[in-house]
Parts: sequence; structure tokens; C-alpha cells
Amino acid sequence: MKRKGKALNSIVIMITTAVIIALTGALVVNFISYSRRFGSAEVKVPYGHYYAMITDNSDSSFWQSVYAAARTTAGEHGDYVEMISENLSRDYSKYELMEIAIASGVDGIIVSADESEQMTELINDAASRGIGVVTLYSDNTSSDRLSFVGISNNDLGKLYGELILRLASERVYTTDTIEAVILVDAGSVSTGQNVVLSAVQEAIDGESEETRALHPPIEISTYTVDPTNEYSAEESIKGLLLRERSTLPEIVVCLGELDTVAVYQMVVDYNEVGLVDILGYYDSEVILNGIDRGVIYATISADTSQMGVSSIDALTEYFDYGYTNQYSTAGISIITKDREDLQEGGAP
Amino acid sequence: MIARFRNLSLQIKMTAISLIVNLFVFSINIVLLAGINIMSGRIDNVYKENMRLNELSVSLGNVQDAMTEYLNAKTSDSLEEYYRSAQVYSDQAEALSSEVTGSLPDRMEYAIRNMSSEYLSEVSETIEAKRGRNVEKYRSHYEEATKLYSYINTYIYSLNNEQFKENSENYREMISAFKTFETSGNMILIAVIIVNVLLIIRLTANLIRPLKLLAGKADEVGKGNFDVEPLTVESEDEVGVVTRAFNQMVVSIQNYIRQVRENAETERQMKEKELLMEAHLKDAQLKYLQSQINPHFLFNTLNAGAQLAMLEGADRTSEYVRVMAEFFRYNVKKGFQTVTVGEELELVDNYIYILNVRFSGDIIFEKDVDSSLLDVKMPSMILQPLVENCVNHGIRDMLGEGRIKLSVYPMDDYACIRIEDNGIGMSEDTIQKLLNGQQPDPDKKESNGIGMDNVIARLKLFSESDDVFDISSEGEGKGTKFTIYLKKGGDN
Repeated sequence: MKRKGKALNSIVIMITTAVIIALTGALVVNFISYSRRFGSAEVKVPYGHYYAMITDNSDSSFWQSVYAAARTTAGEHGDYVEMISENLSRDYSKYELMEIAIASGVDGIIVSADESEQMTELINDAASRGIGVVTLYSDNTSSDRLSFVGISNNDLGKLYGELILRLASERVYTTDTIEAVILVDAGSVSTGQNVVLSAVQEAIDGESEETRALHPPIEISTYTVDPTNEYSAEESIKGLLLRERSTLPEIVVCLGELDTVAVYQMVVDYNEVGLVDILGYYDSEVILNGIDRGVIYATISADTSQMGVSSIDALTEYFDYGYTNQYSTAGISIITKDREDLQEGGAP
Repeated sequence: MIARFRNLSLQIKMTAISLIVNLFVFSINIVLLAGINIMSGRIDNVYKENMRLNELSVSLGNVQDAMTEYLNAKTSDSLEEYYRSAQVYSDQAEALSSEVTGSLPDRMEYAIRNMSSEYLSEVSETIEAKRGRNVEKYRSHYEEATKLYSYINTYIYSLNNEQFKENSENYREMISAFKTFETSGNMILIAVIIVNVLLIIRLTANLIRPLKLLAGKADEVGKGNFDVEPLTVESEDEVGVVTRAFNQMVVSIQNYIRQVRENAETERQMKEKELLMEAHLKDAQLKYLQSQINPHFLFNTLNAGAQLAMLEGADRTSEYVRVMAEFFRYNVKKGFQTVTVGEELELVDNYIYILNVRFSGDIIFEKDVDSSLLDVKMPSMILQPLVENCVNHGIRDMLGEGRIKLSVYPMDDYACIRIEDNGIGMSEDTIQKLLNGQQPDPDKKESNGIGMDNVIARLKLFSESDDVFDISSEGEGKGTKFTIYLKKGGDN
């Protein structure tokens, strides 16, 4: 009995000691692995070229979609593209971001430019330092940029014109005229927007006599939106929609994602659904939702991933061969409630 | 090793056990503390990056301040300050990452590093322009530098924020790891405590086991059982010493008890013997007094009769009466003292003479005596009763000539006295009864009153031996032999 107790005692001691050793071992191993993991949180593989991407409203899903495609493509080439505004605690203008990018010693800049002189100077400054600049979506034609990646504004205007005509034939208007307002960016009277405007006008003018007789005459006008920030855009649009019902435009054409969302939101807020038809731009979730709810009549979406890919390809080509295509266009399409897509334009 | 441990003293053993146990706890503690140390080191590290960036920011501010100061005052002090701070900042900026990697801090450092060199060159150009008094130039450079200064500051601030966010994440993770570590540490310590307790139980049990055995034995001895097995001495420590002493004590007690018991036994035997002897004497005396009605009176009257017969000239009568008187006098005089064989033989002679007068010479008595043995001591009143027995039981009722033969002869250290008759003999049964000290026929009256049993008992007591007396008979009608073996020099 006594011996049995003693043996049991020994067994318990042995087992507990084993448990202690195992626990301590596990703890040490765990600890070492933890230290390792902590020590090298990320694998540091240097990249080849470092590109900066600069856009207005970089948070919008349109630009995020472009950025995602660009990143993937750059990664495939062993390069790195960065939306530099994302990492900064302050909001900088495109111009300031250009200065930062130039001073940061990036290899290339993808910028959603404008035709301002300041932008031209910045692009030229970058180019003089050997930094390749690709303009994206909106161009700066007079600068030394390598390439422009965007959509055909002519095609865009044509599609909007087409949509306006479709509305005019579908809707029953009791007003004297059908007022179609195109929202344009203030200040930067970009050639791009001018092209769009003239293409719309062209499309309206091109309507056949028979159908033209069926609806009141269509009047195209522009409304200037301050694009400097989200609030300024919203404030501008408020001026357009906070009017007497009788003076409200019948159709509002938005040439940007943010404008589209802002107009959509305001039309809902001011209870103007059915009074104002919205022709939007880009196919973000909010916009598609607006289409489904019948607030937005249709939207025109650009092939964002193609834009992202093309801009990186342009830079890669430039660094590999010293030259690249001056233009490349991405496809655009109409999205309506029926998701009936109309492809227009395409790759360069 | 174990044997050597066993032989250590209790104090050293206890110390060893506590040392082992404490060392165990200590080593586990060291491991745990080392872990905690490394972890707290890591926590320090977490915020090192932030501190570095803060220093960078301060240095940058110094450069900007020095430049502004110089532009405002153009003192050599501020210029010096500018050179110094620019050098410090340049060194710090050089330490930043020069590679673009997947890590955001690295990329931001890369940007800061490049912007810093841009900034420093702008600043230096501003200073140069100021020294060259080129107002237009220094103003534009100053603006450029200030812009870059603000960009860099934003970058540093953003990076700081970014790292703080990341570090907070790490810190949280580390705190949770710390918690896990703490919990496991506690579990390990609990397990260690269990092992320690078991170890102590185990080790002290080994120490205490001999003590317990000893206590058990002592208890047994205390209850009076001295017949315990000696304990085996397992170790040479204090317990071993006590065990040895205990064993020795038990053996001594056992010896002492044996001695006391032997003494008591001897004393008891002696007392018993004394009592027995006394009882027999009393018995014999009583019988004798009963049978001899005033032997003194008889002796005196017989003596008077003998003198009367002499006066009347009846010599034979006178002789007879004198022998008779002698016979009775022996009884009176010697009583139950130790006498010599010679004296006893004399009494037998007298007895035979009387008998022969009485039975007109029917009994033929033969004597064969080694005269050197006459002085051997023996109890009184032994031979006459035996001869009387021979006469009464052996030859009285037989037909023909009764013969009694008494011989005294030496044999080894013994003087043997043999009395034999040719009478009716004795059965084996009777012989055994007599030798065992029983009265074979209690109803039979002895003429002299002293029975065979009394004779045999007194002989045995005298010689302190059972082999002092022997009876043999070859069967019915073939006579009986009594033999007494007396030690020659024996005089108890």
C-alpha cells in the first residue's frame, strides 16, 4: 500500500514535471515565434520604380478602382504605385501633391491633370527631372507629359446626347422646353469638357425631324460646380436644385462620380424624384443603387481598370523603351435600370 | 550517490531538499522573468520609431528656425546654428530608408529622405542668395524651402501617426501576448508548486520513515513487548544513531529480563525444595511419634529390664533387651539427622537381632560390606525401613527360608547399598508407583510407620537427584532388590 502510494507519487511528479517542461518549452517557442513575427512584420522587398498617383477625390470608388488596377499592374512589373494623398494627414491640392511627388524623388507620376498653366509648369518641372508624367482621365495637352490615358470625350458627349434624346422621347413633358443642364468644373475650362459639350450639342442637333416634333425643344446649358472639395461641389449643386419647381431643370448631366452622387442625394432630399432626371457618371454602388431606385435614369461608366492598366503600361514602356503612346482611351458604356450596356470607344 | 546522501546529517538533508526545491522555483522564475524582460524591451522598441521621428521633426524645425533667423538677422551665430542643425538633420535624414518596399513607413521615409535633401539644398541656396544679397532669388528659394518644410512636416506627422497606429496595434497584440505569457507563467508556477510539494513529501517521507519505524517499535516496547526484531539502520544520520541506540537498548532489556527471570526461577525452585523437605520431615516425624509411643519411656524401661535380667543372670534376655533399647534409642537419638552408613547398618543389625529373637532365627541375614564406605553420609532411618519392608512384604508370608542380603560396595563415584530378599517379589506396576513417590497400598499398615514413599522421597531430596534409588524384581516369587546410590564425597 505504502509502496503503491510512493509509486503513484513518483508518477505524479514525473507527469507534472513533464507538463512543466512542455509548458515552458511551448511558452519559449511561442515567445520566440512571436518575437520573430513582431521583428519582421513585413517582407521588405525593394521595388523597381516608384510611381505616384495624384487625383482629386482619391477616395471615390472611381479612382479607387483605377488605383487598384494600376497597383496590380505595377506589381506585375515589380514596380510600386502609390496614391500619395492617402497617406497624408492633410488634404493637399493636386498641385501641391505634384510638388510633393517631385520632391519625393518618385520615378513617375500619374496625374488627373487639367489644362491650367500651373499644372503645365509642374509637369514640365517633373519631366525636366526625368520623372515620367502620365495624365489620366483629364489631360494637360500643352505640357511635356508622356501620355494621356482617358476616355474619348467625344464618345462621352455623344452617349449623353443619346441619353437626353431617349429621355425626351420616353417622358411626357408639359414645359415649353426640356432644359438639360450639364455640370462643368469651375475654373479649369478643360478642353475635355468642351469636347463633351459640343458632342452633346451635336447629338441633339442630329435628331431627326420626326422625333424632334414629338417633344418640346431641348435646351442644353452648363452649370459650374466648384470641384475643390466635396462641400464646395455640394454647395454649388444646391444652387441648381433649390429652386422653384417650375424652374427646375428637367435633366441634369453629371460628368463626375461625386457630382452624380451629390445630385442624386439632393434630388431625394428635396423630394424632386420624378421632376429631375439624372444622367450620371461611373457605376459605383451608390450610383447603381440610384439607378435601381429610378432616381438616376442612366449612368455612363468608363473602364476604370483599363485606365489603371494603361497608365502603368505607358510608364513601363517609357522606362523600358524611352517612348510610349501619346494617347490611349478606355471604353465607356451606358448602364440603365435594365443593365443594358452600350459599348462605345475602347482600347487605343 | 544515494547511499552517500543517506549518510548525511538530517540538517544537511533538509537543507539539500529546500535547496533543490528553491532552485527549481528559481530557474523557472528566471525563464519567466527573462520572457517578461524581453517583452518589456519590445514595448520600449515599439515607440522608438516615434521618438526617432519626433527628433527628426525637431531637427527640421531647428534648420528652418536657423534659416529664418539668419534671413532676419544675418548674424554669424545664426549661420553657425544653421550649419550645425543642417548637419544634424542631414545625418538623421540619411538614416531614413533609401528603398521603396511594400512597407508604407519605408516608402514614406524614402519620400522624406528625398524631400529633405531637396529642402536642404533649397535652404542652402536661400542662405547663399541672402549672403549674395540677391533678394529676388533668396525670396523665391525661401518660399520653395518653406513649402518643402511644410510638406516634410506633414509627412513626418503622417508617418508618425501611421506608426503610432501600427504600434498601438502591436502594443495591443503584445499586451495580449503578455497576458498569455502571464497566464502560462502562473500555470507553470502552480505546476512547479505541485511538484515541489510532492518532492518534499517524497523526500521528507524518506527522512521520516525510519523515525516512524522507530516510533512504532518504541511504542511496542512501551506496551511491554520486548521481543521485537531489531531495526535495520538505513542511514548514518541522527536517526541512524538513535536507531542503533534503540536496538542496543532493546537487547539490553531482553538480557536483563532473562537474567531476572532465571534468578526468580532458581529462587522459586529452592523455596519449593525447602518446603517439600520440611513437609516430608514433618510427615515422617508425625508418623514416627504416632508409632513410637514415647520411645524415651520405652528405652528407659527396656534398659531397666536389661539390668534386671543381668542381675538375675539371664544373659541372653539381658542382651535382647539391651539391643531393643539400643534400637529405640537410635530412633530417639538420631531422629532425622544425617548419619553415616555405618550407623545405619548398626541399626539394621539390631533390628535383625530383635526379629530373629522374635521369630526364632527364621531370617537369614547376610552382609557384604566394604568397610571403606562406612563413613559415607546418608539420611537416617532409610535402611531399617527397607529391611523391614523386605521382612514384612518379601519373606513373611513365604514358605521356606527367608533370606535377606545387604551389600555395600563402591561403584564409580558412588557408594551403592543393595538390599535384596528372596521373597514374593514386586510387580512392575508397584515398582513404578513406588519410584514415582506413590503409596502402592495405602491401607497397609507399616509396623514402624515409615513407608517406602517417605524413604524414597527423603533420599531424593537428600541427593537432589531422581536416580538415587532403584527397585528391581525379576517377577513373582523371585525376590526384590533395592539399590541406593550415594555420592561418596557428597555431604549435602
